[in-house]
Amino acid sequence: MNRATAALVLHSLTRIRPLVIAISVVLAGFQFLLTQVAAYLLRTQAFGMLAALVPEFVRSLAGPSMLAFMSFTGVVSLGYFHPIVLVTLLGLTIAIATEPAAEIESRFADLTLARPIARAQVLARTIVVLTVCGLIVLGAMSAGTWIGLACCTPADAPRPSAAIIRALALNLALIAWCWGGIALALAAAARRRATASGLTGIAALATYLLDYLGRVWDPARRLSEMSPFHYFEPMSLIGGAGLSARNVATLLTTGLLGAAASFIVFSRRDL
Amino acid sequence: MAIRLEHLGKRYGRLIALHDVSLHVEPGEVFGFLGLNGAGKTTTIRILLDLVRPTMGRASVFDRDCQTQGREVRAQIGYLPGEPGFYGDMTGAATLDLLGRLSRHRVDPAWRQTILDRLELASADLRRPIREYSTGMKRKLGIVQALQADPPLLVLDEPTEGLDPLMQEAFYDLVGEIRRRGRTVFMSSHVLPEVERICDRIGLLRSGELVLVSTVKEVRSLAGRRVRVTFADDVAPPDVWPPSCETIGITPRLWDLRVRGSLGPIVSLLAVLPVVDLDVQMPHLEEVLRKYYASEARR
Repeated sequence: MNRATAALVLHSLTRIRPLVIAISVVLAGFQFLLTQVAAYLLRTQAFGMLAALVPEFVRSLAGPSMLAFMSFTGVVSLGYFHPIVLVTLLGLTIAIATEPAAEIESRFADLTLARPIARAQVLARTIVVLTVCGLIVLGAMSAGTWIGLACCTPADAPRPSAAIIRALALNLALIAWCWGGIALALAAAARRRATASGLTGIAALATYLLDYLGRVWDPARRLSEMSPFHYFEPMSLIGGAGLSARNVATLLTTGLLGAAASFIVFSRRDL
Repeated sequence: MAIRLEHLGKRYGRLIALHDVSLHVEPGEVFGFLGLNGAGKTTTIRILLDLVRPTMGRASVFDRDCQTQGREVRAQIGYLPGEPGFYGDMTGAATLDLLGRLSRHRVDPAWRQTILDRLELASADLRRPIREYSTGMKRKLGIVQALQADPPLLVLDEPTEGLDPLMQEAFYDLVGEIRRRGRTVFMSSHVLPEVERICDRIGLLRSGELVLVSTVKEVRSLAGRRVRVTFADDVAPPDVWPPSCETIGITPRLWDLRVRGSLGPIVSLLAVLPVVDLDVQMPHLEEVLRKYYASEARR
């Protein structure tokens, strides 16, 4: 990384720092809280009762993953796929990835790109910032989980293995990367941050609902394969299956294609 | 050549922003780029910086193509945008430091301090967030960030917009010093007295077309000098005026004339008349350019 890119990265990290710290603390706290909830349910032997409360048709619809969720590991892992966590993480990802559009909108890009900087450096900066912030947030979440498990859960609790937590965190990172790439592509073409972030947000919501629809309604199953969330399967990870190569490849490739498109579009457009 | 534009054109869909613009700017020159709002001045500047891509022709700076060798070109340029997009929550000092780090030339602290002193931008001001700055202070910060790396070419878009008269004077002095340092200045403006005062040559854009490129002196001569002659007694005007003379107002004791070129013929004519006073006024750039502006405004 050259001096100019490093300066841009530092500048962006400084600007996004309060948001990243706040989200990291909240999500780490949430993970810690979930370990305590799981410990409480274990101590009160409530997992069985909870599973019994779930109607039969829901259980058959959700499959064995429902039973995996109704376990100590399932509750501890909830933070890695809970919709609120997903929304928060994707919101942060979109905020970072749309920075190029924000800089065009605010005309800050006129000041930076009037200097000997390649347009690709601006996007490379954004990818570096996305990666660093993603690592910080996921690192904080993992730390919250492990602190909670290490200090305040019964010794005989069936703790999830490090491999499961790693896989869940990686799974979350992949879905964030996928949407980061899409947001970056839209930001590279947009004049306003609101346009890029709004379109990405709407697409994320629509594809999330499409995936959900595909899971509960057979005719929509085929169509739901177009949703990135179709390749985000935390329940199977909780059940002990490793990350599917197909899922990893699909999410990684989608993000990469978005990033590649952003480099092409941004290098050709008028600012 | 510091800047060379060859048949430069830019279209936005059906709108022609620039059409077949060709000009050159010599190193060490202060060139004024004039035109009404929307004439294409900023588009031209943005093409020089490769922020906008031309649809025809080419632009080069110090013999390097602005599109294919954009980074090399921009390493030679200090740019003041018409509306600098500073972040309001950043301090002036942090902004200057960041933009300084993005420049290829190292910022000389002594030179930066000289500019800050000239523009009366104090250290205490630089420690404040930019959202607390007035329009004039933001403009000064914009000038400092463009000049601080002491680049060979300065591209300034409406540089004195928002500056008070004292600061405008300080800016003109600064441009004088920059010129003495051998730097080239390419500035857009619609403040004609300013252009007249600091520019060597001007180019005038009208609806995306370059309609005039000339030295300030030549443009002034196009307007002719205004000559007012006061007589002691009533004098009858001649039947035939010298060809270089144009009458503006004639009374028995006062002739108001416009004279293009040499004053010789009119002096010869006056030599035998009872002249009390002779007032010769140098023409202003505005007098020539007003007609170009007026014809654009009518479009």
